[in-house]
Amino acid sequence: MSIGLRGGAAIVGVGTAGLGEAAGFSTMDIQALAVREALDDAGLSLRDVDGLYCANMSHVFPALTTLEYLGIRPRWIDSTNVGGSSFLVHALSATMALQAGLCDVALICFGATLRSSAGRMVPAAEQPIYETPHQPRYPMIAYALAAARHMAEFGTTRAQLAEVAVAARGWAAMNPDAFERDPLSIEDVLGARMVMDPLTLRDCCLLTDGAGAVVMTRPERARELRKPPVYFLGGGAASSNRAVSQMPDLTVSATVESGARAYDMAGLGPQDMDLLQLYDAFTINVILFLEDLGFCPKGDGGRFVEGGRIGPGGDVPVNTNGGGLSFTHPGMYGIFTLIEAARQLRGEAGARQVDAPATALCHGNGGTLSHQATVILGTGDTL
Amino acid sequence: MTAVGPDAAFRLNVAEGRLWLQHCAGCGSHIFYPRVLCPHCGAADPQWVPASGRGVVYSRAVLHRKPKPGTDLPDTHAIVLVDLEEGPRLMSRLPGVAADDIRIGMAVQGRIEQTEGGPIVVFDPAEGAV
Repeated sequence: MSIGLRGGAAIVGVGTAGLGEAAGFSTMDIQALAVREALDDAGLSLRDVDGLYCANMSHVFPALTTLEYLGIRPRWIDSTNVGGSSFLVHALSATMALQAGLCDVALICFGATLRSSAGRMVPAAEQPIYETPHQPRYPMIAYALAAARHMAEFGTTRAQLAEVAVAARGWAAMNPDAFERDPLSIEDVLGARMVMDPLTLRDCCLLTDGAGAVVMTRPERARELRKPPVYFLGGGAASSNRAVSQMPDLTVSATVESGARAYDMAGLGPQDMDLLQLYDAFTINVILFLEDLGFCPKGDGGRFVEGGRIGPGGDVPVNTNGGGLSFTHPGMYGIFTLIEAARQLRGEAGARQVDAPATALCHGNGGTLSHQATVILGTGDTL
Repeated sequence: MTAVGPDAAFRLNVAEGRLWLQHCAGCGSHIFYPRVLCPHCGAADPQWVPASGRGVVYSRAVLHRKPKPGTDLPDTHAIVLVDLEEGPRLMSRLPGVAADDIRIGMAVQGRIEQTEGGPIVVFDPAEGAV
């Protein structure tokens, strides 16, 4: 059905900027620096960009503000905002737009200064009005409820949740760009301040500044550029609710559908994936997504991650940059899954490089377990 | 005269001490939150019917606040999701139960509680519940 999109575009440039703290700089400033780095990486310039994809939490019209700041006049723009998963949807949409000839060079970018502008955050305008009278704290309420239900239904333990944070820290220790690199043990996670039972501070992602950019183009042009192309092999998205109280089953995310759609398009399955980038806003996310993406049966995610299996040296590399838990988390993390996957598939990941990966699965979560998007990427050997 | 939409109708009922839900004649589903179309079958004009108020705790999470000087806010704040006997799920609280005593799967009974922000639906442990 959508076979035409497999290999229909490639990531040719990635960049980051303002990771951690970028005091004094605006969202648009650090985003522009990330864009510059991604275009340099590709050997392209701003003049080449004619497709623009943006989402953030600070702008109602992020693409308009971005094109104005960058001084570009793209002929195709898309500001679809479904939360932190937006950028994976953008990769799928950009592939469509490139194939349709709506643009020739698509730029996906994001920036946020959550850390240095702390206290000036404006809550989302459309909070669920039947939840807010009970004073839930977003977004963590959703993930704490999901974790508690998973624990009650499947016997998942807090120590198993902690395994996810410890694995992320293990990867972060090898990433010079990671915000938190000090050693972290299961005991450290369990003993950290309880924030939203059953989640401690170390079950929760960082709150940082940061920007990321990804450049995509059609395969013919990609092969003429500076770096080995990282091909788009498949993508899918799924959603059934905005509010967590409207989610049919808190232990099963719409990832089941987004993943199946991505696998179907790529003609690949979980057994074919060499590394995973799973949006880890909270430790429970990784457990849910491993299950929902078919790496283990539903309910077995906690046991699956035991023994350092998803950390350095484990047999299923997950979040090799340190993830939202230890690398960076400027409110929306999705774009960083694409960036790390591209660097790994090119063999540019330094001390944390996975041995010669050919495929990578990137997964983004949006809202409060509200939206899920999956993208499968591969090297030229996978075409 | 101003028309009363689904949200206002729900709140008027709650203000009168009634927990009522919408019911779809098309597919027989109960609906929450209130809407003009049934989210299960798309049929229009769901009708208001009394709810039993009986439900089961589906999940719970407990916010641990940093203590704030000069306030008498409790340092924990438990939130629950309750599955109503009729089918819909809603976010709520169990004001009379200590956070540590809330169990997933416990039977609960809804009631209307007055708060500063207006009347809201909360739950108590059901009579005879373990």
